[in-house]
Amino acid sequence: MIRPILHRVAQAVLVALMVGVLTFALMRSLPGDMAWRVAAGRYGYDITDAAVMEQVRHSLALDQPAALALLSWFGDLLRLDLGVSLISELPVVDEIAHQLGASVTLALTALLLSVLIGPPLGVLAGLRPGGGLDRALFALSITLRALPQFVIGLLLIYGLAIVFGLLPASGHGEAGHVVLPALTLAIGLAAVSSRVARDATVAVTSSGYYRFGETKGLRPLENFLRHGLRNIAVPIVTYLGVQLVYLIEGVVVVETLFAWPGIGHALVHAILARDVPMIQGTALVMGLMFVLLNAGVDVVCGGLDPRRRAS
Amino acid sequence: MIRPSRGQWAGVALLLLLALFALGVPQLIPGDPTRQSLSNALLPPGGPFPLGTDAFGRDMVLRLAAAIRLSLGIALLTTALAGVIGVALGVLAGACGGWVDRALCGVADTLLALPGLLLVLLLVAIAPGQFWPLYLGVSLVLWVEYFRMTRAAALRIAASPAVEASRLLGFGPVYRFRRHYWPELAPITLTVGAFGSATSVMSVAALGFVNVGVRPPTPELGQMMIELMPYYNEAPLILAQPILVVFLLVLALNLIAGGKTQ
Amino acid sequence: MTVLIETDGLAVDGLDSIVRPTTLRVHAGVPFTILGETGSGKSLLAQAIAGTLPDGLAARGRVRINGRDVLGLSHADKRRHLWGRAIAILPQEPWLALDPTARAAPQVWEGFTRVLKLPRAAARAATGQALRALGLEDAARKLPGQLSGGMAQRVAFVAARAGGAPIVIADEPTKGLDAARRDDAVDLLKSGMGTTGGLLVISHDIAVPKRLGGEVAIMLKGSIIESGPVDQVLSNPRHNYTRRLLAADPAVWPEPAASPVGDRLIEVEGLAKSRGGRTLFRDLSFTLHRGEIIGVVGPSGCGKSSLGDLLLGVIAPDGGTIRRNPSWPALRFQKVWQDPPAAFAPQLTLRTALGDLVRRHGLAWDRIPPLMDRLGLSTALLDRPPGGISGGELQRFSLLRTLLLDPVFLFADEPTSRLDLITQQEIVGLMRDVARETGCGLLLVSHDHALINRVADRVIAIGPQSHLASSRLASPQVASPSLTSGDAA
Repeated sequence: MIRPILHRVAQAVLVALMVGVLTFALMRSLPGDMAWRVAAGRYGYDITDAAVMEQVRHSLALDQPAALALLSWFGDLLRLDLGVSLISELPVVDEIAHQLGASVTLALTALLLSVLIGPPLGVLAGLRPGGGLDRALFALSITLRALPQFVIGLLLIYGLAIVFGLLPASGHGEAGHVVLPALTLAIGLAAVSSRVARDATVAVTSSGYYRFGETKGLRPLENFLRHGLRNIAVPIVTYLGVQLVYLIEGVVVVETLFAWPGIGHALVHAILARDVPMIQGTALVMGLMFVLLNAGVDVVCGGLDPRRRAS
Repeated sequence: MIRPSRGQWAGVALLLLLALFALGVPQLIPGDPTRQSLSNALLPPGGPFPLGTDAFGRDMVLRLAAAIRLSLGIALLTTALAGVIGVALGVLAGACGGWVDRALCGVADTLLALPGLLLVLLLVAIAPGQFWPLYLGVSLVLWVEYFRMTRAAALRIAASPAVEASRLLGFGPVYRFRRHYWPELAPITLTVGAFGSATSVMSVAALGFVNVGVRPPTPELGQMMIELMPYYNEAPLILAQPILVVFLLVLALNLIAGGKTQ
Repeated sequence: MTVLIETDGLAVDGLDSIVRPTTLRVHAGVPFTILGETGSGKSLLAQAIAGTLPDGLAARGRVRINGRDVLGLSHADKRRHLWGRAIAILPQEPWLALDPTARAAPQVWEGFTRVLKLPRAAARAATGQALRALGLEDAARKLPGQLSGGMAQRVAFVAARAGGAPIVIADEPTKGLDAARRDDAVDLLKSGMGTTGGLLVISHDIAVPKRLGGEVAIMLKGSIIESGPVDQVLSNPRHNYTRRLLAADPAVWPEPAASPVGDRLIEVEGLAKSRGGRTLFRDLSFTLHRGEIIGVVGPSGCGKSSLGDLLLGVIAPDGGTIRRNPSWPALRFQKVWQDPPAAFAPQLTLRTALGDLVRRHGLAWDRIPPLMDRLGLSTALLDRPPGGISGGELQRFSLLRTLLLDPVFLFADEPTSRLDLITQQEIVGLMRDVARETGCGLLLVSHDHALINRVADRVIAIGPQSHLASSRLASPQVASPSLTSGDAA
């Protein structure tokens, strides 16, 4: 149990390092006098004069060689000093604190919806491989997997919000607003997890131990509950870890599409505006969210699969 | 050796059709996909513009052909680059083991720590509007998958009696790669390559869609969608075109990869 | 005597796996073994009786269990109702038959509670008792992955019988077990049967019916060619195949003649090797001469294969020295593997693979046809991939490709453990002939003591205290020119 935790901690550190290095490179590549930009960001455009600028240059180690500057950059990161947004002039930490809730709500709702849609359908299909449901689900899955998330979103908007007027297309604040963006992400996730569930079901029901359960005299339902369910669930949950990449990437795109005020939306805006402190902050938090969700998957896997606890 | 399935043939045929369209259109219909003509805005398909025009009166058939060339070009380049590097390092790690393996796995783990699109976004932010961050970013994301799959297979092959036998029988590493590793790696490489190309097409479209990818007026599928989105009511058939093209591209690549789930 | 299982004209129809109409009777208190080689249809016959035939295969004829016609049962559910209640079906590979994510005790408990319908507490008590009876107290809380092969076997046995079925059908219950554990498994089956139960065992191993007693049926190409009491069939076989099968049992192979040996080939002194912190062997010293056969025996996982790989120089020793006679290059120290298909590149035809070898070393292709002749291989096989020919044929090809390099040392790592008895006798015989005729030193590893005793000049038994058990040791100083002829020049 210690090793996976250490692994995730190391991963979090790597995320911080990568984001740090890349945003540092980004800052260095900015045109114009960096110090002025950052100083203006920190202290406001009106009070920035030459003296303040010099002071900031010094404090940001911009007058130092790159290596030292990078060290100082990481020093700030280590103290969780993410700086001030160049656009809103608010501390990055405060901005992100607002957006994090929205993104987490979206991500978790999407994850929950996908788990409710994908695996149950997949298991049903896998119980009768080659049957009608199996073939229909396969066709649907390969179609959905060929659609980028924003296209699924567009189709949902078009179908549910515009044609039928059932749900609000964008906005934030009411419970109904989360449905479309979360459903967009969930459908993409379920298209894959249903196939994983289907394959796992086929593998388990044709396994030696499942057969043995039958010949021991267990009734089909008893056998499925005692020897099928857990063994099918293990690969599905393990695969959730792989799908988290898709979820985090989807958050960026879907938030932009639905104008959902989350971190992904903020990241895209920050990139367009080249707001370095915000880019660093949002990328860092999204990366850490990825690591944290992965750790959650580890915990669920450990709970489901006694082999993990035993080893 | 491995006979392609019907689905894989369908994928190849579909991809060839798309490529034929992308390369053939400029030969048949001369014109500039970026030339605006506001008097011809949002024309429906037919007449002098077989697929209609967009909001700036630009010819959709030319724009789609150019966009497919761009998407497939980036996909081809990134998967080829990532494939060569990933397979080479994967075989190296799997066959050598020891510190070589640990070092390469460390690099791969580092890259996996960050979701791919975030990495690409950060690189794109450094040099907006340029192509190299796209190539570099997508390749960095893709080679890891090649590496991991190849390494897993190479580990298994390296430990197999067949390879030990070849070594004892006096065959060198080149022979072992050609006769033992490559025949087993080739189908894996094809699958990963097809999935990787699909990922590349999707990523480029997603970047275009959130406006941080290829800069206008260069035709790009994701960007075309976001540009045409306001006109979903007036010109649904025009908006549907880039969506359909992305769908067909990714579908073709997924079919080539086989019915597997990655 | 009560007849428990009765078949009349029972046949299985399918594409290439067919059982011809078969009649047999299994009586209470009399074990019944169906003996046959891979592909003889013995497993299909058992599956047809138990009602577990794979999809796409259908049984016809008549099967009666406890006097009731079961093949005619209208509904699959009624057939299913026999499982666990009338017949206990012991799976072929127990470690694959136990749910990998469930501990051992609940997998037994469910039979008592769900099938036998005992109350929960009574089922728990019965589970504890059943496990204790087989010395499995420690296994109760373990996952199948943590059990040894023998323990998994016993847990599966207890689990299969928890429903109270009086008839046991066991398909290859000794597959993959070494001699001692094989006998344990057979004894367990026999004692579980008692005087009123029934026992139907499927096996490829003659030792099983020998130890089990009762009746035996010999199966060949889908038909039972003879059957009767074990003593009668095995001591007085009527069918030619049965006679060959019995003669192929290593225990009855003719005693080998003591043979003179040639020059010193490999000298081993104070050799030590450990794996995963466990000492496999240490202070192992011996000398292998040309034309000499040294057998290596020991339980699975004891390091038999490691010893051979050490001699080949594939792995490095932890201590001691191995001196290979420098007169011969490394290329002439070769190996034959346990699993023939794993030792060939799967996509290459044998012609290509051998062609590559001939070209690599500048040999003449002309050398191959006479060798194939000598090894009993037909040229038609050359154009097939390794997966397209039988294990025995492929193992001859492994031997052939090493012979092309004129080996002075051959390490054969369980070369026949995946092959049928008759094929085993042929392959081992060929290897022995090769060693004698070409003066090649042979290190033969096997889990089968009887086989090693009949072939080897000397035996190394690997265990906690490895020692060289010398039997029929020919004087190593005697060099015979006739044995070192051919390639020695």
